[in-house]
Amino acid sequence: MLPLFLLVPFVSLLILNMLRGRAARRIAFTLVSVVALGQIVAVLWPPARDLPATEPLSAFLALGLHSDSLSQVLLLSIGIVVMAAVAVGRATLSYDKHRVNFVSVLLLSLAAMNGTVLLSDMFSLYVFVEVTSVCSFTLVAFDRTRDSLEGAFKYLIVSVVATVLMLVSVGLLLLVAGGTSFDAVANALRNGGASPLARTAVAAFVCGLFVKGGVVPFHGWLPGAYSTAPPSASVLLAGIMTKVSGVYGLIRLTVSVFPPNAELNWVLLLAGAVSIAVGAFGALRQTDMKWLLSYSSISQVGYIVLGLGCGTPLGVAAAILHLFNHAIFKSLLFINAAAVEQRTGTTNMRLLGGLGSRMPTTSLTSTIAVLSTAGIPPFSGFWSKLVIVIALWQSQHYAYAAFAAMLSVVTLTYLLTMQRRVFFGKTAAHLLETREARLGLVLPEVALALVTTAVGVLFPWIVGTFLFPLGGIR
Amino acid sequence: MSLSFIGLLVLLPAAAAVAAFAVGRARGVAEALGVLATAANLALAIFAFGRSGTWTVPWAAPGLELSLRLYHTSAFVLLAAAAFSAAVALYSIRFLAAKRFRHLFYGFLLLSLAFVNGAVLADHLVVLLFCWEGLLGTLFGMIAIGSRRAFRTATKAFIIVGVADLCMLFGIALVGSQAGTLVMSRIHLPLDSMGALAMILLTIGAISKAGSMPFHSWIPNAAMDAPLPFMAFMPASLEKLLGIYFLSRITLDLFALRPESWASPLLMTVGAITILFAVMMALVQKDYKRLLSYHAISQVGYMVLGIGTAVPAGIVGGIFHMINNALYKSGLFFTAGSVEKEAGTTDLTRLGGLGRRMPVTFACFLVMAAAISGVPPLNGFFSKELVYDAALERSVYLYLAALLGSFFTAASFLKLGHAAFLGPRSPENDRVKEAPVSMLVPMIAIAATCVLFGVWNAFPLRQLVQPVLGGWRLPGHDFAGWPANQLLVLVTLVVLAGAVLNHVMGSRAFGSGLAAVDHIHYAPSLKGIYAKAERGAFDPYNWGTAAVRLFAVAAWKVDRAIDWVYDRLSPGASGWLGQQVRDAGDGSYPRYIAWSLVGALVVFIVLNRAG
Repeated sequence: MLPLFLLVPFVSLLILNMLRGRAARRIAFTLVSVVALGQIVAVLWPPARDLPATEPLSAFLALGLHSDSLSQVLLLSIGIVVMAAVAVGRATLSYDKHRVNFVSVLLLSLAAMNGTVLLSDMFSLYVFVEVTSVCSFTLVAFDRTRDSLEGAFKYLIVSVVATVLMLVSVGLLLLVAGGTSFDAVANALRNGGASPLARTAVAAFVCGLFVKGGVVPFHGWLPGAYSTAPPSASVLLAGIMTKVSGVYGLIRLTVSVFPPNAELNWVLLLAGAVSIAVGAFGALRQTDMKWLLSYSSISQVGYIVLGLGCGTPLGVAAAILHLFNHAIFKSLLFINAAAVEQRTGTTNMRLLGGLGSRMPTTSLTSTIAVLSTAGIPPFSGFWSKLVIVIALWQSQHYAYAAFAAMLSVVTLTYLLTMQRRVFFGKTAAHLLETREARLGLVLPEVALALVTTAVGVLFPWIVGTFLFPLGGIR
Repeated sequence: MSLSFIGLLVLLPAAAAVAAFAVGRARGVAEALGVLATAANLALAIFAFGRSGTWTVPWAAPGLELSLRLYHTSAFVLLAAAAFSAAVALYSIRFLAAKRFRHLFYGFLLLSLAFVNGAVLADHLVVLLFCWEGLLGTLFGMIAIGSRRAFRTATKAFIIVGVADLCMLFGIALVGSQAGTLVMSRIHLPLDSMGALAMILLTIGAISKAGSMPFHSWIPNAAMDAPLPFMAFMPASLEKLLGIYFLSRITLDLFALRPESWASPLLMTVGAITILFAVMMALVQKDYKRLLSYHAISQVGYMVLGIGTAVPAGIVGGIFHMINNALYKSGLFFTAGSVEKEAGTTDLTRLGGLGRRMPVTFACFLVMAAAISGVPPLNGFFSKELVYDAALERSVYLYLAALLGSFFTAASFLKLGHAAFLGPRSPENDRVKEAPVSMLVPMIAIAATCVLFGVWNAFPLRQLVQPVLGGWRLPGHDFAGWPANQLLVLVTLVVLAGAVLNHVMGSRAFGSGLAAVDHIHYAPSLKGIYAKAERGAFDPYNWGTAAVRLFAVAAWKVDRAIDWVYDRLSPGASGWLGQQVRDAGDGSYPRYIAWSLVGALVVFIVLNRAG
């Protein structure tokens, strides 16, 4: 079954590019939607996991694919966000001929992300993270406007630092462990973890992932890249791509590779807390919706890293849960921003106001996403933040727990400010003619809002089926 | 007994009240409802008198049941309340004619009656408390409907009585936890530390309802602002009945007050202070209604004093005084209402010589003023003698205080009668005529009852009052007939003569009946105190509001500080931080790379710390 997660997008990509022309343009979006939908079904529908006749494929690929509940959660998130991105792309892409190119990059990203979360080898992880990153650069620069090219260029330049660090790290690990598979590295670190070489390798890899995930102070590229990218790319990037290329790696390594390490936890806690603060305060003074949401992403990644830094199974589970929730509500917020941009031509909050009466569904779903992000019950964000705080408390990081709880007030502040400046109040005169977003955007909005609400409302059920199994990864 | 007459006693007035609120200003309908419902209630109360029984409806939660119990004491208070309600309802027809709030007044009157009946019948303390608080609501409503200024007075009354009721609430909770039950007929608590606290709290509730000091200060304001029948109805009669009824329940049943208990001197002191201070204030008033209102406070003192003595004569005297006071005080307010309606004012400086024009009112006034002053053989004389007797048995000082109270009472009523009904008539009062019949009838009935209860005091004492204590508490006692202690009667007569003498000399010296007590009002040591008292310097409500204002100012300052933190400091600080972050992300990629490298350095150092 597992190889299909890589092969299906890849084969689809080949088919699409062999067809080219009108035929390809016609089927492009349908194709990628079906692939993404197939991925969601494959994760959620138990019989699909045991699809027969994949053994030969595994043998053929020989990549050492491995799947556990962490991978499953990420595969699900990837499927959902790609679906959302496809919907946004279909609704917003201006030129017909760009469709195939866009969908091609999308399919490649899908394959790369799936590979990242399924592989069990440091070097392969590095390679697929890089492929994902390259797809990201391409997506940011997709519109070829001045701003987006600049944003992509900076992303690329800062990523180079990560590339160097990770490559060096893989080399050092090969030296230390004599192999790069997770098991080999884990064994080597457990036995000879005190050696400066091994420590340097770990530090380098972690720094690389910090860059990819946009953790402060490695975050400089992130707001520019998210905000200048085309709307569909913003959804994909903010929703899942940087999480897969950065945060997933952190989770995977802390859980399956690195031995329990107080120093690493200390770094994670500090980086997480600083990210929360910088992201939140940065978002506070933004005048542009997309910039605000980008800073908000930094802040939310901070929560995930903070949960991870507990070093306890509950903290890890909370981090994964928050990653999933973040994928949902941040995608939703970027779709809302795309809808606003499409209807008004701007995301500058100084020029917006009172859109709630003109775009009721967008406004309502945005409110739900805002409340979920800020951690207000009964939405899903409340539970994951709560579990993060509980995990911090249980692992005796009282100051961090209090800090995380207090900073949600700032989260609520900047998001409600955005909500007020864009949707609430009296409609500005020049916006009176604005209409609700088109169906292609409204549908994913409603779907994601339903998901975030349902996960929140059904949380008691999720606890048993989702959270506790997550705690026992390994 | 699914729906017995006991339940009907509460439900009938309540239903009539709802109807009265509903009919609105339709001419005569609310009046008809009021008179008919109070008459029906009176008939029910007469029917209930001498019977006993219980009516229990399960209600809300287990253990909380609406249990009403009719027995002698409740039947007696029910009857009295019914009689006064009927009188007030009849009286108000003409008095309130053409007032916009007629239907509201009748609605509140009937609702109050329902609550009073409920409170008197209640055998469960929670039911009692519910009715008690309901009366607080109707009290507020009846004062507030008068005018805009009345609203302030209503608020004042609401706060004072509300605070006292809150004490009672805590008292009831305490009693419940101590006794393990809230059913009154099953509670018999000792006066240990918790029991004492509970008793004090309950007593506060009871005497504040009766209008005793220090919970009195809204009554003079209400006398001026509220519709006059309200004064005859609530502070003069129903609230006294209810408050003293509950006080007697507390001291007789719930806690069994003994003369040697510390609570007895406490109650007696409160009573004596109330008598003396309130009557001193009454003495110098220049308004008919305001003067009466201070007497409404002062007379409570006799009842509290009497019951506080905890000896049979005192308790019988206190309860007898309760019914007597309710009679002549509501009757006196009725005469004030007649004067107000016909002369257009109750300001004594503008009244005078009305006796010729309003002979019936004047005659009623004479009877009831004599009764309140304790002139034999009227009812007030007999109840006061009983209280004197008991007070003297406990302490000579209390007796002297009560006696002094009598002197001032007599003096102030001589002044009032002289100023309003005798003396030269001012030209503006030339067209004054006698009050309408519907107002005279209740007045005459009450005056006649005052005479009856005095001359034939065996009836009220043997039929109404003494059974409240029960024969086992009164072995060999019968207080009917002429007072036993002739010496005390003699002293009382001397004091009354002194009051007359004082009045004659005073009015000669100062030239008018109104100024007859000016030598007391402007006596060197009293002048300043009176001036302060008139400004409200001794009003506990004003102290309370001043303290609350002080607290409010402090709280406001704290609130400002907190607001500053929220409105200035935290947005300012977070805004500044946000601006820093925003400015830092200026798009310079060397800077981004520099951050990353510094960050990486930190991570390297930290992770190598252990090595």
